[in-house]
Amino acid sequence: MNALVERKPLKHRLIAWLGKLYPMAKRWLYHFHGGVFPKYHKSLSNRHPLLEDYIPDLLTLPVQQHLGVATEPLVQVGDRVLKYQRIADTNKGLSAPIHAPTSGYVTAIEPRILPHPSGLPGLCILIEPDGEDQAQPLTPAKSPATPQALKKLVHEAGIVGMGGAGFPTFAKIPDQRGCIEHLIINGAECEPFITCDDQLMQHKAQAIWRGAEIVAQSLGIPRVLCGIEDNKSQAIEAMNDALSGLSTASHEQTSFEVHPVATVYPMGGQEQLTQELLHLEIPSDKHAIEVGVLMMNVATLAAIAEAADEGKPLISRYVTVSGMGLEHPFNANVLLGTSFQALAEKASPKTALTYPLIQGGPMMGISMHSNNVPVIKTTNCVLANPPEAVEPAMPCIRCGECMDACPIQLLPQQLYWHSRSHEYDKVKDLSVFDCIECGCCSFVCPSHIPLVQYYRHAKSEIVRIEKEDAAAELAKQRHEFKQARIEKAEKAKKARLQAKKDAVKKQAAGKKPATGAAAAKARAAAAAKKAAAAKTTNQSETSPSEKPAQTAREKAMAAAKARAQKAKNQADNAPNTDSATTSTAEDKRKAAMAAAKKRAKTRQKTETGASPLKASDNAQSESDDKRQRAMNAAKQASKKGESSVSQEAGTKADTTAPTQDKRKAAMEAAKKRAKARQMQQTTPDQTESDQASDTED
Amino acid sequence: MIEALIVFLALAVIFGLLLGYAKIKFKVEGNPVADQIDNILPQTQCGQCGFPGCRPYAEALAEGKSEVNLCVPGGHEVMIQISEITHREPKEMDETKAPPDEPMVAVIDEDLCIGCVHCIKACPVDAIVGATKMMHTVIEKECTGCELCVPVCPVDCIDMVPQRPTPQTWHWPEPIANSLERRS
Ligand code: SF4
Ligand code: SF4
Ligand code: SF4
Ligand code: SF4
Ligand code: SF4
Repeated sequence: MNALVERKPLKHRLIAWLGKLYPMAKRWLYHFHGGVFPKYHKSLSNRHPLLEDYIPDLLTLPVQQHLGVATEPLVQVGDRVLKYQRIADTNKGLSAPIHAPTSGYVTAIEPRILPHPSGLPGLCILIEPDGEDQAQPLTPAKSPATPQALKKLVHEAGIVGMGGAGFPTFAKIPDQRGCIEHLIINGAECEPFITCDDQLMQHKAQAIWRGAEIVAQSLGIPRVLCGIEDNKSQAIEAMNDALSGLSTASHEQTSFEVHPVATVYPMGGQEQLTQELLHLEIPSDKHAIEVGVLMMNVATLAAIAEAADEGKPLISRYVTVSGMGLEHPFNANVLLGTSFQALAEKASPKTALTYPLIQGGPMMGISMHSNNVPVIKTTNCVLANPPEAVEPAMPCIRCGECMDACPIQLLPQQLYWHSRSHEYDKVKDLSVFDCIECGCCSFVCPSHIPLVQYYRHAKSEIVRIEKEDAAAELAKQRHEFKQARIEKAEKAKKARLQAKKDAVKKQAAGKKPATGAAAAKARAAAAAKKAAAAKTTNQSETSPSEKPAQTAREKAMAAAKARAQKAKNQADNAPNTDSATTSTAEDKRKAAMAAAKKRAKTRQKTETGASPLKASDNAQSESDDKRQRAMNAAKQASKKGESSVSQEAGTKADTTAPTQDKRKAAMEAAKKRAKARQMQQTTPDQTESDQASDTED
Repeated sequence: MIEALIVFLALAVIFGLLLGYAKIKFKVEGNPVADQIDNILPQTQCGQCGFPGCRPYAEALAEGKSEVNLCVPGGHEVMIQISEITHREPKEMDETKAPPDEPMVAVIDEDLCIGCVHCIKACPVDAIVGATKMMHTVIEKECTGCELCVPVCPVDCIDMVPQRPTPQTWHWPEPIANSLERRS
């Protein structure tokens, strides 16, 4: 506090005096709206020495400790891992790799309950430390000179924003030099009870400045400001002292400053600290980067320094273990994956830990569904506050206290009314998404209404509704698309049929009489072919209906093989026994064939009854036959076309095969037609022999 | 008298022309009521209403040719909305048809699938990919849970499974207001 008191003694003293009459006078000491002054209880954990080198019996490392996509394990159950070894990573999107905090054996890779408000399980890698703490050799990286090098370094070290949300830090760093004017070091640890950043600043001030130097140099940042709340006088002193540790060269390039700021909750919020230090408000539709401000937590910067200078990935972090329920609260440099329960036990709880522990502070923290959840990269505090009798919520008296306390200047009371009556569009219009869920409004509410919970629910409800709407829209579009496609296919099919019919008519008109003998032979060949085809269909028919599955599949495969064989045999003259036919197509085809057969039979009968030299009739019947076949082929082809289109979305490559088949079949049919015509035009003998060879090969 | 008649006749002609022009110029495409209804239907495209998709049901409703309580996935809520739009009496949903509590998606057992493509044809939103004789898969993101693909599968390898929430898709529950708070 000394620094501030020395600089602005009069204003400070005046306000301190006024505060006795009007407590909210303290709000005049800083530049953002609202804010509250809870009891801090920071001395609880701050008066004990830092605990180092504690290796628990089991480390539970969730594969997702950050915002973005989950990593994938790179180790297997039973593997021995070394300290610093990369054990999970992914290249599927925004993420940060996970490293083994100590040497040991992977005992399991399975879902465990996560330190998340949902209490749902997520995939974790479980490591049983062997106590040797054997490390993989580290390769110190060079100090990164470009933003890209810095991003790579930060990503490979698995560093995420350690102050709260866990946004992978590399994604926050801009791609170009010179677009950041201010790097703000966030040392304003404003939540009650938590002192881990305070401790870090006292113990690793050098590393924090070094981290800031690395970031400033690689991004070309001219000004680095460190905001520390004025209730952490030791940290301010340590940071001021450590400033001299930086090289004169970097002092020339960049100005490094320590700024004590007023102690108020939520000073540690990104917007609030920016506003306080730079008097700059970040518009709600913009990122801080776009206004030239980059903010990093002290722990993140210390981790960057270690990654650059020693090559150390992020495997441990400072955690405060505190709360009213603990005899000896402390701060510790904790390996990631250590269980909350184990840490709380070490602080000698006053009563058994039958109540849920809280991750984070009392204002924004979330109580855990299980006390056996692990410390992850974003865990700054394990809080053991025995449950107190909660005051029942009373009706809102419209006092407006919440509005005065909101640091974002929202209208908490309006938000509450609309959230409660589920008018989510109105809630959204009141910019609920700008709410930082700081809890100031709930803190001051004389009616003890859990306002923040309403906003959290409203936010996730709005997101859900928007997602559902988008999904419905997508479904609608896809359905309409499918409908249109079917219609088009139907039309195309009709057009094709019409064209075929016309072609056949023309053909029939142009044909010359053929001998009865030749036609009879051709008919016989066609009948034989049909019989064979029918057999194939029968075979394939029986297979799918049979179970159990394995055999069904095998049978289907066998049938398919047989069919393929048959098809090969008759490939030239039987376009309709294509190996790629579907079973529905086969059903239809079977029916069509039966009909065709019947027709052929009756015709045969009438023919045998009539004179054998009814050449034109014969030709007609033959072409009828052909037409039937062509129609079948066309039907199948269009079927295939249909199914191939429906697969378009997923497997483009697949579509080429059926369409090619289709084309082949059509070409074959055309060829045959041409041949038949030719043959009928030549001498009867030739036709006979030609046709025989045609059908028999 | 004559003047008055002429004036009114002229006015009538002018307004008639204006109205005629407006009708052509500001013509509304499609049926606005059907669009409105279509927007509130769940777009599951399941056909349980007896129409081949949500849009045809919306159109039938707009023309007053159908009951308001046929959309099963939409449930009571959608029924009320429909009756509001169409200005008709709300009608209770059939008791036997209850919408599922959890959103479901189809999952194909890829070991059993014989690749018969029946399901592809049944799926109203093309959420299934696969080719003849190849194993098929449901694109989970696009599946509306309409269950139309389940009965057509000859080897019964399609299952409807509830979509379990993950920490990423989980939602904060609504705080339960006590009786005191609610009185406000
Ligand atoms: S502080 Fe509480 S009681 Fe007062 S207006 Fe806000 S919600 Fe209502
Ligand atoms: S929780 Fe949201 S509404 Fe309440 S004070 Fe904080 S920012 Fe304002
Ligand atoms: S029953 Fe199914 S197809 Fe019919 S409107 Fe409802 S969701 Fe759409
Ligand atoms: S995959 Fe099945 S359940 Fe899902 S949308 Fe398609 S037909 Fe309906
Ligand atoms: S209907 Fe069944 S067997 Fe046929 S492709 Fe679909 S999932 Fe596979």
